[in-house]
Amino acid sequence: MKSIILACALVLLPATSSFAASDAARYAALQSRLAAIEAESAQVEAIVQVQRLGRAFGYYTDKGFFGEAADLFTDDASFQWGNDGVYRGKARIRELLTRHGGGSLKEAPGLPFGRLNLRMQLQPVVTVAADGLSAQARWREWGLLGQYKKWAGWGDAVIEDRYVKEGGVWKIATRQYFLNFETPYEGGWAALKPGAGNGPSDVAKAFPPDAPPTVNYKAFPETFIPPYHYAGSASPVALQSRAPVKAVQRPADALGKLEAEADARELQLARTHSVRAIENLQAMYGYYIDKGQWKQAAALFSREGSYEFGQGGVYVGPASIERGLSLMGPQGLEAGQLNNYVMAQPIIHVSADNRTAKARWRSDVLLSRAGKGRWGGGVYENEYVNDKGTWKFGTLHYHVTFWGDYEQGWAARPFPVEGPSTTVPPDRPPTVTYQSFPKLQVVPYHYANPVSGKPHAGE
Amino acid sequence: MLKPIKILLALGLGLVSTAQAIAPTEADLKALQSRLDAAGTRITRLQDLTDVEIVQNAYGYYVDKAQWRSLSELFDENATLEIGGKGIFTGRARVFEYMNVGLGPIGPRDGLLIDHQQFQCLPTILPDGVTAKARCIAWVMSSGGWGHCYYENEYIKKDGVWRLKTLHGPFNMYSGYKVGWVDNVITNTFPEKFPPWPDLPPKVVYLAYPSYYAEPFHYPNPVTGKPMPAPSPRAGGEAFGR
Repeated sequence: MKSIILACALVLLPATSSFAASDAARYAALQSRLAAIEAESAQVEAIVQVQRLGRAFGYYTDKGFFGEAADLFTDDASFQWGNDGVYRGKARIRELLTRHGGGSLKEAPGLPFGRLNLRMQLQPVVTVAADGLSAQARWREWGLLGQYKKWAGWGDAVIEDRYVKEGGVWKIATRQYFLNFETPYEGGWAALKPGAGNGPSDVAKAFPPDAPPTVNYKAFPETFIPPYHYAGSASPVALQSRAPVKAVQRPADALGKLEAEADARELQLARTHSVRAIENLQAMYGYYIDKGQWKQAAALFSREGSYEFGQGGVYVGPASIERGLSLMGPQGLEAGQLNNYVMAQPIIHVSADNRTAKARWRSDVLLSRAGKGRWGGGVYENEYVNDKGTWKFGTLHYHVTFWGDYEQGWAARPFPVEGPSTTVPPDRPPTVTYQSFPKLQVVPYHYANPVSGKPHAGE
Repeated sequence: MLKPIKILLALGLGLVSTAQAIAPTEADLKALQSRLDAAGTRITRLQDLTDVEIVQNAYGYYVDKAQWRSLSELFDENATLEIGGKGIFTGRARVFEYMNVGLGPIGPRDGLLIDHQQFQCLPTILPDGVTAKARCIAWVMSSGGWGHCYYENEYIKKDGVWRLKTLHGPFNMYSGYKVGWVDNVITNTFPEKFPPWPDLPPKVVYLAYPSYYAEPFHYPNPVTGKPMPAPSPRAGGEAFGR
């Protein structure tokens, strides 16, 4: 992405810095800007297409369309399932998915009576290579699994994919499926014993992989962080869009009209690109929180950024935010601590000048502490800033809808939202006061009704 | 990273230097204009995808708090709504009635959680640029337990604004909390079980988990381009796979 922006900025100079620029130079500059617009459009389209592939995969496996799911891969694709190992090629991937999902290789798509295989594909962080021919993405899979009257269970996994564009079509080239746990509904993840997910699965025993796993790891309740494809970058490409630019007055001639139109297109593209960068930012934040990486999460905030969680008050600036986040547990968490914050349901609005943005998100929370499981749910209303082309959190504000006990559920045993910490006090008191479930409050929307344009007053 | 920079720089600077001597003709400007127009259409499609997803996600937040007036405003006045097995409700006023009578009166009620989380939205903008479809998931965490349903919805762009034209929400799995979906599941809703009564019968009659129903995908396979294959007629039965 940076390369496109650089190239664009360089060729912009002759057109904007001098009124004396010849028509020929202005024309050439316009052509270059158009090329950059087209290249950047392709980058954003690639993000969309990768999101589409991941989601289509989930819809296929849900209902036993395992052949369709395998068709999303390249002919020589590889698929690492948990600690089992690597399966190569479409036919082997199809059989792998069929066996894990309870389907049949003998007949048309479907599942037998009573089989549940809902595998929700969530929270993508998509990074497209500069040449636009390959991409990587991190996903979260949340599985609802079971066999009627026999068992019900949860699945939790992180996926790291690599994609390639072959003959103009995006495909999955490699998938690392880091299964964190499959656990019975009864007792849930909090009841899992160490070593539960480390051995070979029943599927692998009957259907051995083609190669050992590329990464060996210890699944929950032990701690393990699936490697991030964006690790080691201070400013990951996934968070980048165009830097904000000052509006330019163009001459009133024919070329000036085209220049003004190119300005408008660049801004329009920048804003839709920014939407994707903000999706990536929120997802990235969620993955860091999952694993207790407070320092990495705090680094996603702007210098003046602030963090407010429930009724815990406001922490201002990355150092203070890191302290506020650490109330959830030690850096990196301890064995047995689950801290899944699922990020979903975005409503993102980028400002007209591409400098700031606001977004509403939903979070489901799956927790465990000291052998006890807990549910949570809530809504974010956040603000973001475009810092020279990289999106960061301005304010992050999580409104708690409910906390609930795993054993009895949120309806039978809700927990109240907690107030400010006395050991790590916030910099400022909470900006709003409310009680969580069984009390309900409507978290104010940063937007008017997206269709009628009406405010939400009175409802 | 390095290689593309070089290529792009070469492209950009090369154009400046070689074109220096050649002033654009009227035909050149016309060609540039049509290239700008094409870019505009392409970028608008990208924005459309976000705008459609916003309508769908806004729907979910309104359900959470029983904001039926705001919710019904997301629908075109001639829209239809069909959820579970209840049949089809036509027009914005009936959408409101379905919610307000069928699900409970307007506004959040303390002690009653009906969170309808919108997951995994897969929108498609059709070539005309003013109609769209999306497949999405509602993952329900309610006072009564769990719910998982799909949406296969249609949207139209009128006066530059995307809105719901058809909301179709087939159920996948509804269960209580205590033991989850191992038992005590609800296989569907039905036209006669609770008011209001539908304007039209259900588009398709089916049973959700532990039975099997695959709502058709509105899109072909993104890699092969082939339409959805028909599921096995034995799917959802004990005979499947035997």
